Amino acid sequence: MRWPRGERYGFELVRALSDAGGLVMTEGTLYPLLARLRRDGAVETTWRESPSGPPRRYYSLAPAGSELLGAFTSEWARFRTSVDAMLETRAAR
Amino acid sequence: MTIDTQHPLAADYLKRLRRAARRLPPGRRRELVAGIEAHLAEALHPWATDPEARDVLDRLGPPEAIVGAAQPSAVAKRAKPRGTKEWLAVALLLFGGFFAGFGWLVGVILLWSSRAWTLREKCIGTLLVPGGLATPFVILGTASRGRSCTRIGDGAQHCTGATSSSDITWLVVVAILVLASIGSAMYLSRRARTAS
Repeated sequence: MRWPRGERYGFELVRALSDAGGLVMTEGTLYPLLARLRRDGAVETTWRESPSGPPRRYYSLAPAGSELLGAFTSEWARFRTSVDAMLETRAAR
Repeated sequence: MTIDTQHPLAADYLKRLRRAARRLPPGRRRELVAGIEAHLAEALHPWATDPEARDVLDRLGPPEAIVGAAQPSAVAKRAKPRGTKEWLAVALLLFGGFFAGFGWLVGVILLWSSRAWTLREKCIGTLLVPGGLATPFVILGTASRGRSCTRIGDGAQHCTGATSSSDITWLVVVAILVLASIGSAMYLSRRARTAS
């Protein structure tokens, strides 16, 4: 899955993660996570009217969040390479 | 969004969520409930069938789990330090006997009125050693009072009264009592549970 860039509202983000498969067991617990990212300054939020229903809270990456994402991306690549290497060694035996 | 425009199962779910969220700080509670309300408004039409509604609610997960995820992390919550009362109890049990004996009694009262120790620990704290460190000192004083020493010759002492073998006995008793008092105080301070 390509991580959606730009602004997304809560429900959209939660469903995108949930539909990615195997990542989310309970969608509801993602809302506290989004709230924490907002408190930590990793994301910024704005309220917009919805064509149907209550106003939506839109989330976008803050500069601190972009930095965090960059660090996580390289850390994840390193982690994935290490695990792949270990699994290949095990499979080769 | 009012209750009237919600699916009845969603309304029940939100009621459970609000009840569970009471333990959250007000700001977090509002944000969480608003987020889930908005989610339900997007995911569930008021006229959805019950199985559809159950599917949406199952995907959300139990309200209690969501509130659990919104709580400040357990690691961040620091254990409450042991109370002043408990420190005072241990200090008075050890040294209180020097204050006309009253101090030790106050220590015993504090020990028994605290919920930081079990019955067994309280008994150990009281019986080891009644009077605390003051007791061996009093014994030492009493034992030496029964003796009179006179200085003879080049600073050598000639003592009458207690024999040397009972001197050693007293010394051993005093040493045991001192060690027992200190050991008991250390035991109590280690075993004291965080006051709830």
